Formats: sequence, structure tokens, C-alpha cells
Amino acid sequence: MAEEENYSNPLTALFHVLFKGSAIAFYILCSFFINSFIIQFVVTVFLAALDFWVVKNVSGRILVGLRWWNEINDQGESVWRFESLDRESLERMNKKDSWLFWWTLYLTPVVWLALGIVAVIKFNFDYLLIVGMCLSLSAANIIGFTKCRRDAKKQIQSLASQVVTAHVASRLQSALNFV
Amino acid sequence: MTDSENIPLHFSSQSDIDEIENLLHISVDPVPLAAGAGKPSSAPPATIPVSSSPPLPPPQQPPRSVDASTSAASSGLTGFGPAHTTLTEPVWATLKRDLLQVVNNLRTVVFPNPYRKDSDVALRDWDLWGPFFFVIFLAFILSYSAAADRAKVFAVVFAVLSAGAIVLTLNVVLLGGSIIFLQSLSVLGYCLFPLDIGASICMAKDNKIFRSIIVLLTVAWSSWAVYPFVSTAVPPSRKALAVYPVLLLYVSMGFLVLANN
Repeated sequence: MAEEENYSNPLTALFHVLFKGSAIAFYILCSFFINSFIIQFVVTVFLAALDFWVVKNVSGRILVGLRWWNEINDQGESVWRFESLDRESLERMNKKDSWLFWWTLYLTPVVWLALGIVAVIKFNFDYLLIVGMCLSLSAANIIGFTKCRRDAKKQIQSLASQVVTAHVASRLQSALNFV
Repeated sequence: MTDSENIPLHFSSQSDIDEIENLLHISVDPVPLAAGAGKPSSAPPATIPVSSSPPLPPPQQPPRSVDASTSAASSGLTGFGPAHTTLTEPVWATLKRDLLQVVNNLRTVVFPNPYRKDSDVALRDWDLWGPFFFVIFLAFILSYSAAADRAKVFAVVFAVLSAGAIVLTLNVVLLGGSIIFLQSLSVLGYCLFPLDIGASICMAKDNKIFRSIIVLLTVAWSSWAVYPFVSTAVPPSRKALAVYPVLLLYVSMGFLVLANN
């Protein structure tokens, strides 16, 4: 079981952390070097948006096998759709990968919240715009993936119970046939 | 991996396989399917091939409405494209799909085409990437040639546009209209595209009359683009109440573009 020791998708894990980390790092370090709020805003929010896309479409799929999106159905209502790999694949997922995924996912908005509080204390209300955008992007991903994971678990349970009942029903039938 | 050979396929996997076989008859090449059809739902442990072709023939339309979450697992596999196509697709396919979505949405919303009036079809696959880029672009252009404090102009334009979009959507909802929040944000953002064009053209020349004409044209274009989406969302007696603030927003953006030197 060599893959228990290492990440099985190091490149994806790297990208997962890369954009988040660089957005935060850029936000913190930028004010020391570049004096332009616009550049700071655009680059930070762009990195956060890239991170949102990467997490939603790439690392969510590869690291934990989950996917969520929103659709408009025929009645014109918005429906949230969740997708997950089946149980075998989910269990075969690398534990380290999923640990990294969930921890960084939950940790990022906490960091942004702290940065937001710092901005309020410093009376830099412009920077609250940046923090607000990044917070909403991370929050969207968290909500989406948490719902998706819960949905996947529910699905597995219902599948399992269906398999059991189907099995029991077929057993009953074969038993009755012998009578 | 001899274990996986002995594990019987899931209850839903069988219907997956049936689904895929049905697709086989519709689509062309059965060969790649032979490899994938055996275990369609047990993907290899998370090593997604980025450069090789997807294991199943790519669906003609983006795979929608196929996953087992919203209805019972066995009967949930309706629609075109089995559930795991998007989960195991290579990264480039996802990227291409999203980019195409932005282009399509732009074309549907801003340019004349027969589907605009049909609000069912028009912005079904809304996305927020297009609006994001357009808002940033407009704010950037306005702040680039701003006489006053650039950062302030940028922040103000961005805040006005995003808060304005949110407030306008709330307005529609409170007027008793049926609109989906994020879809409406998407529409309002896409309709900024003409203003973006107008702002970039205005950057080139400084002639007041020229600018006025350009701004007038682009504001009219934006309003024309946004009108069907907003007016069909509210009851007819409230149409003016819903449409007026939107037009006001675009006109004030037009003034900002005009006033820039």
C-alpha cells in the first residue's frame, strides 16, 4: 500500500493550495511593495477566482471525487446538482489528498476573516471589498462541497439499503419457489 | 486489482451500463466504450489523464441532468451523458466547456438572435465569469483615465456595479417577480459588455461630440439587451418599476464614461 504514504495527486494538490496561498500572500505582501490598490485588488480577486474554479472543477473531482453545480430546470427553477464517484472509488481515494482538500478549504475563509478584521481595525475600508469577494468565493465552495459530501453519503446509504432489499426480495422469491 | 474483479457491480452500475449501451447506438465509435463499459462507475483511483481522450465519447451537449442525487438512484439516469463523464473528464475539457459557455452566454444576451425572447432558453447556463471580467474591465478603464484618485474610482465603480446588480435583483424579487438571483446577476453583468466597448472606444478619442454619440449608442444597446430579461420576470403592471432602475444604472455608467477625461 505504497500510496498510503504519499499524495497520489501531488500536482493537483499543489494547484489546490497554490492559488489560495498566493492570493493571501499577495494581499498581505503587496502593500509593502506596490502602492496601487487597483493592482492589488485585481490580482488578488483574480487569483481567488482562479482558485474557486480550480477547486470546483479540478481538485474537487480529483482529490475527493465530488462535483457540484447549479442548473435551471425546465420549470425555470434553480436546482443544485451534485455528483460523486461511487462508493468503491470514494473509498479508494487517498486519505492524505482528502485531508489536505478539506482542511485548506475550511481554513481559507478563517484566514480571510482575520484579514478582514485587520482591515477594519486599520480603517482600510477599500480593502474590505477584496476580503468580501474572497470570502464569498471560498464560502460558495465550502457550501457546495459540504452539501455534495452529505448528498453522496445519503446516496450511498440509500443505495446500500436498496441493494439489501433487492437481495432479500430475490432470496425470498427463490425460497418461495422451492416451496 | 483482483478484488475489483470479484466485487459485483452496483445496482445502479447495471443501469449505467445499459445507459451507455444505449448511447452507443446513438453515437459512433464502440471501441473506446468497450474499455470503459466494463466498470463505468469505478473510475481508476483518481489519476485523471489530462492529455488522453476521455474514456467515453464526449456528449454532444454538456452533460446535464444526469446524476443520481435528485431522484432515486436507479431511475435517476435520464438524459444524455452518464453521470461520471464530467467527473472523469480531463482538465482541458472542463476549461474549454466553461469558456464556450461564456461565449455562448454573451452571444445570447447581447447580440440579436432568435432565442432572446424565450427566457427559458436564453440564459439557462448562466455563469458569473463573463460578468466578472466585464465589471473589472469597465472599472479598470474608468479608473485608468481618471483625473482624480484612481483607486477610489476603481473601488467605487466596482462597488456600485456589484451592489447595484444585487439591489436590482432584490427589486425584481420584491416586486413579486420570479427570477433566480444568480441568473439575474449574470444577465446584468453580461449587458455591461456594450458599455465596455463604448468605454474603450472613448479612451481613444477625446472629442466630446464623438464620445456622446458612442455613449448614447452603447447605453441604448445595453438597455435593449437587458429589457426582455427584466420585463418578462415581473408581472406586467410592475414592468416599468422593474425596468427603470436598471436603465438608470446603465445611464449613470454611461455618464461616468462620458465624464472621464
